[in-house]
Amino acid sequence: MSQATVRIPAPLRGFTGGAAEVVVEGRTAGEALRDLAARHPGLARRLLDDDGRLRSFVNVFVGDRNVEEIGGLEAPLAEGATIHVVPAVAGGGAASQRRLAELKREVPEVTPREAFALQRQGAVLVDVREPDEVAAGSPAGARRIVRGFLELRIEEQVPDLERPILVMCAGGARSLFAARDLQALGYRDVRSVARGFAGWKADGLPIEEPRVLSDGQRERYGRHILIPEVGEEGQIRLLDSKVLLVGAGGLGSPAAFYLAAAGVGTLGIVDDDVVDRSNLQRQILHADARVGTPKVDSARATLEALNPDVEIQTYRERLVPENVERIFDGYDLVLDGSDNFPTRYLVNDACVKLGLPNVHGSIFRFEGQVSVFWPGYPARRGPCYRCLFAEPPPPELAPSCAEAGVLGILPGVIGTLEAVEAVKILLDRGDPLVGRLLVYDALEQRFTELRINPNPDCPCCGDGATFEGYVLYDEACAATPG
Amino acid sequence: MPGTTAERRLASSRLILPAACREQLARWGEEGYPHEVCGLLVGTAAGEEVRVVEVHRARNRNTARARDRYDLDPADYLAIDRRARARGLDVVGVWHTHPDHPPRPSITDLEAAWEGYSYLILAVGGGAAGELRSWRLTSAAFAEERILEDDAGGAGDAQPAAIDPGEKRS
Repeated sequence: MSQATVRIPAPLRGFTGGAAEVVVEGRTAGEALRDLAARHPGLARRLLDDDGRLRSFVNVFVGDRNVEEIGGLEAPLAEGATIHVVPAVAGGGAASQRRLAELKREVPEVTPREAFALQRQGAVLVDVREPDEVAAGSPAGARRIVRGFLELRIEEQVPDLERPILVMCAGGARSLFAARDLQALGYRDVRSVARGFAGWKADGLPIEEPRVLSDGQRERYGRHILIPEVGEEGQIRLLDSKVLLVGAGGLGSPAAFYLAAAGVGTLGIVDDDVVDRSNLQRQILHADARVGTPKVDSARATLEALNPDVEIQTYRERLVPENVERIFDGYDLVLDGSDNFPTRYLVNDACVKLGLPNVHGSIFRFEGQVSVFWPGYPARRGPCYRCLFAEPPPPELAPSCAEAGVLGILPGVIGTLEAVEAVKILLDRGDPLVGRLLVYDALEQRFTELRINPNPDCPCCGDGATFEGYVLYDEACAATPG
Repeated sequence: MPGTTAERRLASSRLILPAACREQLARWGEEGYPHEVCGLLVGTAAGEEVRVVEVHRARNRNTARARDRYDLDPADYLAIDRRARARGLDVVGVWHTHPDHPPRPSITDLEAAWEGYSYLILAVGGGAAGELRSWRLTSAAFAEERILEDDAGGAGDAQPAAIDPGEKRS
């Protein structure tokens, strides 16, 4: 253990009882600094961060060499070495101050109270602060667009260039720059809120604490947040959403995988089956080591490993008229990955009764179909499954995967398309497959779209149809799970 | 806004700055215009009195934004500090210029400031050295400290000196 002398700069001598030099022990620069911190605990936080790394605002020299050039804190010390703690000396910023003074002449400013009054008259208040600032509170009713994305996202929030915009930041400086950029985009009436959110709060104006993503979520869902159609708001919507997957088989596997990855906050999975080795050719949620275990448990293990953010609710039971409403309760939509007609009709009838969108997929050998059965879709009346097929076909015309076989990749395509539809519906973006049946032919590698119309005489969703209980079809037409 | 709070506060300390040092700062500020130039104040600090004995110019590592930022080369700091200590003196503060802007600390100055140093700012308007003011950081805000010219009796044998970085080895 060698001895070294540490030279302490004036601003840090308050922590060494005024001493300009302290003798410490250590074989490396890091050991010497840790010994120094142990002798003068107030220095610890100023020199080293929580992970024991040198803070950015101090430089450490051993003799003439900056430790960064000689191995960092691992730099070896010779007996009697001198360590200099050199404070980072920086500053400036006169140019930005000068620019602010110019901007104050170019951009009209309003007080927080004036902003509040204008907001009530229809002006849009835009809070351009960073997410961590917004998390602690933001003006009630404000649009929150982080400064870095303001130019890219403002048009979507405020399509009318004539509508007055009030820009707010923390203290009224960033908002001046932001307001100038909005003027440049063509907005005619842009004002900056002087004193910013600090002033708004001090004046007792209404505040809300908006939901924001955590740092970890912002990192995980970063590629979603970048898409204007999703953004942070959309991602929060997904996290608040609940999707029920009927079946953890060929269709349910890719759908559940992608919905969990996308951060759909709650995924319910109904399946009473256990994993069979013959499932693994296509049911990618499961694994060879889990053959013989319940599919819902196997699915949970896979999905929780992918995204611990997602809550997995499992129902190890067969969907029957007695439990269907209990299980569907509280979900925003149902993704049907069943491959048997009794379940498919039960899902349809319950979704129509409860007003839930039913994202439908089915597969046969090389061909698959996707649609969204949702008579209550607000944009246009859509059909239900019974509008298409009022009754199930006889069993000999409806072979299951076990009987007919299926290309293992096919449910990957169809289940993934179902997941896309689910996310679109949850976000209320794009045009869902309501009234449209997408047919995929893997051999021809071709998609065909068929128009499907609602049947006004449909016994399930037609005009004047009344619910008369669930129909329990013969188990004979229930194929083994596919 | 930066500056407004600082202006209301007065630090209890005072900075004694010899006329020769003041003149040297003015020369460097004008030479460097329109860029910010920066350096260190070397002298003694006792109680509420900071006595500047020498001013030193240092290299600005922030070459990308030299017009309005400075980031003093730590190797220069070390060299200046060593020479100061050898003579029983200390680094007591930092000086920098504000080209075409009043000598009030900016947000950047505040973020990077240390308690215990004097921050001397020289305004250089249109290339001509102007107002000079000194600030100290106390409780996360700047307070202005008075600047006094050196009084002949109080300087002892310490000759006011202005040392150019060209003179030192680094």
